Amino acid sequence: MSKTKKGLFEGVVSFNKQIGERFYRLGLRFKGEAGKAFAGLVPGQFAEFDISTAGLPACGEIPDDLRDSARRELLLRRPFSFCNVEIDGDEVEVEILYCVVGAGTIRMTTLAAGDIISVVGPLGNGFSVPESKSTALLVVGGMGAPPILHLAKVLKEKHPEIETVGFVGAKSAVDFPLEEIQGQSKDALKSMSDFELNGVTWQVASDEGDIGHKGFVTEKLEEWLGSCDAQKDTIIIYSCGPAGMLRNTAAIAERHGVDCQVSMEQMMACGIGLCQSCAIECKGDGGTEYKLCCKDGPVFDSRDVVFKV
Amino acid sequence: MSDAVDISVEFAGLKLANPVFTVSGTCGYGDELSDFMDVGSLGGFVTKSITAEPRKGNATPRIVETDAGMLNAIGLANIGLEKFIEEKIGVLEKLKTSVFVNVAGQAIEEYVQVTEKLASEKAISGIELNISCPNVKKGGISFGTDPALILEITSAVKKACGNKVLMVKLTPTVTDISVTARAAVEGGADALSLVNTFTAMSIDIETGKAVLANKTGGLSGPAIKPIAVYLVNKVYNEVAKDAGIPILGMGGIRTASDAIEFMIAGASAVGVGTANFIEPGCAVKIIEGIKGYCRRKGTGKVSDLVGTLG
Repeated sequence: MSKTKKGLFEGVVSFNKQIGERFYRLGLRFKGEAGKAFAGLVPGQFAEFDISTAGLPACGEIPDDLRDSARRELLLRRPFSFCNVEIDGDEVEVEILYCVVGAGTIRMTTLAAGDIISVVGPLGNGFSVPESKSTALLVVGGMGAPPILHLAKVLKEKHPEIETVGFVGAKSAVDFPLEEIQGQSKDALKSMSDFELNGVTWQVASDEGDIGHKGFVTEKLEEWLGSCDAQKDTIIIYSCGPAGMLRNTAAIAERHGVDCQVSMEQMMACGIGLCQSCAIECKGDGGTEYKLCCKDGPVFDSRDVVFKV
Repeated sequence: MSDAVDISVEFAGLKLANPVFTVSGTCGYGDELSDFMDVGSLGGFVTKSITAEPRKGNATPRIVETDAGMLNAIGLANIGLEKFIEEKIGVLEKLKTSVFVNVAGQAIEEYVQVTEKLASEKAISGIELNISCPNVKKGGISFGTDPALILEITSAVKKACGNKVLMVKLTPTVTDISVTARAAVEGGADALSLVNTFTAMSIDIETGKAVLANKTGGLSGPAIKPIAVYLVNKVYNEVAKDAGIPILGMGGIRTASDAIEFMIAGASAVGVGTANFIEPGCAVKIIEGIKGYCRRKGTGKVSDLVGTLG
C-alpha cells in the first residue's frame, strides 16, 4: 500500500449522519489534487480537520456535560482516521466516525452537506500487509473502529486470499460507534454474538455484557488464538482502541508469537512532525526513545512500543 | 499610489527578502514545511532548539489546547548538536532564506560550546539564544529572568558566535521585560526576539491534576497576542529604538493583520509560530498580505511601518 503526498486541502461535506446518541458519520468529498492525495489513503493514515469555523449547536442541543467546554475558542485542528474511502472517477469520498466528546466534536455536529472544511492530510503511516500472512485478526475497542473497518474493506478487496476475523468490544452496547449495533433493539443485542460488516464476521464483547461476550474483546482474541492450528507466523493482528486494550493485545500477540500492528493515539497539535507533542515511548538502543505518533506512526509494530501499565 | 512595494528589510545587518520568519519549535529543522510552502520564500527561519547532547524530551501529555491558545511542554526534545550538523546543515544550506539556529542549554558552557561549533557553518546567518531554560548550576533558576545572568550568558555567547548575528529570545514571564532586554543589549545582542511563551498551567478538574505531564507549559497562540504586542512596543520604546537593535516580534501571529500590528508596535520582523501547526504555509499568505496592506496604504517600504504607533 503506497503513500501519497500530503497537503492542505478543502473538502466538501457530503453527509453528517447521527448514528447513536453521541456517534456521527461524516462524509467529505475531494476533487483535483486533493482527490488524488486521498485516493491513495492507506488504512490507518489520518488527517487534521479544522473545525474552528463550524458553529455551535443551539443552546438546548448542547449536552449538559459539554456546556462549559463547548464555549471554548478552538485553536488546533482535530486528527481523525478514516473508516472508508470511495473513489468515484476523479472525485474521492472519505468517511470518518466521530464521537461527541468536547469543544471540537460538538461543533462538528452542525456541519451540513455542502459545507467546506480545511483538511491537512493524508498523514502518517498506515497498516501494512506482509507477504507471508494468510490470516488477519482485527481487534477493535470502541472508537478505535474507523481505521480497522477501512482495513477490513481493503483486505477483502485487495487481499481476498487472507482470511480475516474481526473482534470488536466496548463498555456497553451504546458505546459501539456502529450502525449495525446502534440500530438494534435490546433483545436483539442480547442475542447478538457476532455480525457481518465489510465482508468480515465480527465477534462482539462488552464489559457490561449487554451485547456479546461479557468481558474484554482481548479474551475473545486469546480464545481464538488458543484454538487455532495455523502456523503462528502466518497470522497478523491489527488493532486500534484504548491504550489498555492495545497493551493487552500486544501482550497476547507476544505470548502466541504472532505479529501485531497497533494504531496509537496521542494528543497532537500539527500532525506533521513540527510540534513534537505526540510522543510515543518506544524501545530504542539500550533503553527507550520517543517516536512521534503523527510521523513515525500512528501505526507501530507492537513489539516496538513501550506500553504504560 | 505606486504598486511597487519594497517588502525587504534589513535586520541586524542581514538583508531579508521580507520580514516574515517561522520561529523555533514550530517549523522543524529545515524542510519539514516544504510540502506546504516554499520555505525559501521566508524572510528568515529559526530552527527548533539545539542542545549539546540529544534530548528525549518530556513525558506526555506535552500539549493541551486552551482558549484560543495552547500550552506546550516538549522539554527541548532534539537530536543534539552532532546529529544536527551531520544531518540538517545540508538541508539548511539549500534554503534560500536566512537561517537562525535556536541554541539552548543547561549551563553557560553548553551554550558557548554549541555556538562555537555552529559559528563556522556557512548555512547559518545567526544564533537565537534560548534563555528560557533552567540554569542547572544555579539551582534551576531560569537564565531569562535574571538580568545579571542574561548579561553574562549573552557576552559569553557573543564571543563564541564569530560573525553570526546574535539574537536573544526574551521570556515574557518577568516583572519588567525592558530590564532583561537591556541586559541582553549590554551583553552584545545584535537583535532581540520576543516574546517566548508565557508559563502557564491547565488543570483537569476531574482528576485534580495538571493536564501536562510537566505540570506547567508555555502558553502560545492568539490568546497571548495583545500582551505580546504590548511587550514589543515597550521594549521598542524603552530599549531597542535608542540602541538601534531590531526586534523579531512574535506571539499569536496568524494573519498579515497580526503581523502588521507587531511592526507598528516596533518589530522590524515578525515570527509565525503556533499558526504553523494549524495552517502550515500560512507564512506565505502573511507575506502576501503585508504586501497588499502596504499597497493599500501607499507604504513604499514595509520597514517604514516599524515603530509608527501613533
